[in-house]
Amino acid sequence: MIAKTYIEKAEYRNIWVIGELLSGEIQPVTYELIGAARGLADARQCEVWTVLIGAGAGAGAGSLFAYGTDTVVVVDDSRLDGFQDEIEAKVLVRLIKKYKPEVVLCGATTRGRALIPRVAVMANCGLTADCTRLSIDPENGDLLQTRPAFGGNILATIRCPDHRPQMATVRPRVMKALEPDISRVGRIIREGILDTDADKMKRIIEIFHSREGALNLSDAQVIIAGGRGMKGPEGFRLLKDFAFRVGGAVGASRAAVDSGWIPYAHQVGQTGQTVQAKLYIACGISGQIQHLVGMQSCETIVAIDKDPDTPMMQMADIAIVGDIFEIIPEIMNELAKS
Amino acid sequence: MRYHIENKVYHVEILPPKQDSENLERDLDVFVEKYTRVMDSGYCACITDNAMGHLSFQGTEMIEELGLPVLPEQVMIHLNTFHTREDLDNILSYCVEKGIKYLLVVSGDGSERLPRLKPSDIGVQGTESITSVELLQYITREYPGKFVLGVAFNPYEPEDHEFAKLKRKLWAGASFIITQPIIEKNAVVDKLIAEYPDVPVIVEAWMSKKLHLLSDAVGYTIPENTEYDPIATLKLLHQAYPKNGFYLSLLGFKTQYDLIRDLWV
Amino acid sequence: MKIVVCIKQVPASNDAKIDPETKRIIREGQKAIMNPFDTYALEEGVRMKEKYGGEVIALTMGPPKAEAVLREAISAGADRGILLSDRVFGGSDTWATSYALARAIEKIGDVDLVICGKQAIDGDTAQVGPGIASHLDWMQATYVMAVDSIEDNNITVKRMHEDGYDVCELRLPAVLTVVKDINTPRVPTLKGRLAAQKSEIPVLKPEDIGADPDKLGLNGSPTRVVKTQPPEPRQTDTLRIEGSPRECAQALVRELKFRGLV
Repeated sequence: MIAKTYIEKAEYRNIWVIGELLSGEIQPVTYELIGAARGLADARQCEVWTVLIGAGAGAGAGSLFAYGTDTVVVVDDSRLDGFQDEIEAKVLVRLIKKYKPEVVLCGATTRGRALIPRVAVMANCGLTADCTRLSIDPENGDLLQTRPAFGGNILATIRCPDHRPQMATVRPRVMKALEPDISRVGRIIREGILDTDADKMKRIIEIFHSREGALNLSDAQVIIAGGRGMKGPEGFRLLKDFAFRVGGAVGASRAAVDSGWIPYAHQVGQTGQTVQAKLYIACGISGQIQHLVGMQSCETIVAIDKDPDTPMMQMADIAIVGDIFEIIPEIMNELAKS
Repeated sequence: MRYHIENKVYHVEILPPKQDSENLERDLDVFVEKYTRVMDSGYCACITDNAMGHLSFQGTEMIEELGLPVLPEQVMIHLNTFHTREDLDNILSYCVEKGIKYLLVVSGDGSERLPRLKPSDIGVQGTESITSVELLQYITREYPGKFVLGVAFNPYEPEDHEFAKLKRKLWAGASFIITQPIIEKNAVVDKLIAEYPDVPVIVEAWMSKKLHLLSDAVGYTIPENTEYDPIATLKLLHQAYPKNGFYLSLLGFKTQYDLIRDLWV
Repeated sequence: MKIVVCIKQVPASNDAKIDPETKRIIREGQKAIMNPFDTYALEEGVRMKEKYGGEVIALTMGPPKAEAVLREAISAGADRGILLSDRVFGGSDTWATSYALARAIEKIGDVDLVICGKQAIDGDTAQVGPGIASHLDWMQATYVMAVDSIEDNNITVKRMHEDGYDVCELRLPAVLTVVKDINTPRVPTLKGRLAAQKSEIPVLKPEDIGADPDKLGLNGSPTRVVKTQPPEPRQTDTLRIEGSPRECAQALVRELKFRGLV
């Protein structure tokens, strides 16, 4: 929808979060986005709405108020079993036309990234992907959307001056969920699917769940990552031992993956995964920007390297200068003692 | 390789045109010129395989499409692990057909655009990924007796690792060694020659004035001389390594080619 | 089958720098390549053609030099290439880009399948594929890691998700975006490249594809980049630990304990 005049833009109110549901369960990214939305809503003095679309979507609706949602819109229909992007897109566009949100946020997940661009085209609005920062421009109330481009070498800030709603996707673990406040209350609106929404329906033949590989790394609270300094697959065996001892996952820089030392599923960075672990230990990783983009949100970063001056050593919270192959076994010894 | 050492035959590195070349016709002509010149001089043309991960055309393609002559003692093809199994076999079969017998087998530089051999492709178990060792084993197994296989040795990498790797490469079927470029008598190369007196060792010389490029290539900073003179360095290396072969990388065909003619005596 | 593969020419390296004066990205002097994800899309299209018969058309929107990626596509198996190029297209965001490509696909006519790479390495948005599907009002499947079959106007694919995958069937015509797991792209051959040099590549303008100029370029783009800047350096003091390996290990474990991390 193009709003050419200020008055029309004012018809669009409230910050929406499109909930991410897997088998009816609300995913962490939804709570994180509600946290971000709350900040925007407070700045705009409006409400946060969370939209849940899916088979069994109603189940978790009540839990969202504590995290900052004022209104939950539930679209629960058995035709939405499995990921039906065409149907969900049509439903969302209809809801957007009806309720006119000012901002729509969605997780930049495989589902979110399939769904939201479709919605943005149908609703004729602008969409910014993978935002790392969202704020309200105090001068005009527009949403300022900041995202990395060129593999993270540039931060671009984007605005959508004339179109509403303003849409943005955000990757999991970039925003932070609020501490739940169980005294918060809200309301639930139930909406349905029209037959016209479901004119394009996929036949879902099989759904296969797997928690291997990619997911392990993203969920890990401790990550031991290796780069060129590990010198080969043998080096990664050492890291695997280390990770096992500390209950962590193994990550890798692009250089290590490209060298065939460790499978791609372990790659952290712009063309790999974004991680937000509590502890990230970088071993022999120089810290090219493409890698830093994937792990700079980790709470504590430890770097071990022979070279004291690499970007990673400078960025780290704790930098250890020395030979990785001698230091890591000593660390494992120390930990075993405690 | 002994033939090359005894007859003082230089190994001259030639890079095929890159796939994203802006003037492919011109680059093809330049390649043909260089190759022909190397043939006429009696030297050995060593054709690289996607050097530095830049998607380039294959040496075997160049020979085939441009109708270049193959003299078995004067051609060496680099071969790395960034191929599909099918491409690999195509290259190897072509070499057998044409009588190309010298291969320099390396792990290679990868890139987004390049496929990579997986252990299952070549019947290897118990390893994460394929390196030159597994590739050597594959070639020795599938094409027994057809090739003379060489491997790289990097004197700038930590010694123990590098010598251990070399041992595995030799066990896997390698019968000659080419060092990474050195700019003076090198203690690690000396150690290499001492440890393997029966294995032909070919010393690589860096023929470009830009020493920082060498640092980039080997991943370690080579101390920069105030003015690096590749020809003078080559002379020095000849004196330091009278019993070894020589591999010339980045040889300037316009400015340096004629100057090396009488250096190796 | 008539298959269109959408391709983008992108800078070879992502080492973008910001001009300190104009605060804009310096783009000149960059070598250009086919977006790596698109090579997988192209390969899948070519494999389908080899299996089911038909034609693969490579389509790109860009400056005149983007023709190079179309030739590359032809050398890797596409039958022909089409370039959308005009000043009017410049400055397009993903909405306007997918609109233009959708109109071009309609102009080509009778297209059964459009295949795109997951995302472009410079923009990284992954929006154009679904955007094209939406402009055409076609079905879509994203993050496709395998095409299982094509039968009677239906295509069955495996879609990758963070928590596994699903197998679904959708009606043609449709748009697919593919991930790298789907195949290993063939490397273009010199033979193919030499043949591709001779191909005629038509250049289409907005009027050739019936595109509404208000929906193109900067004017047609709902989003605007208002600022570009280098990333913020992480503000933190670094605690440096040196000494013997044992000393370092002891110091580290002490510090991590202090921070409640082990």
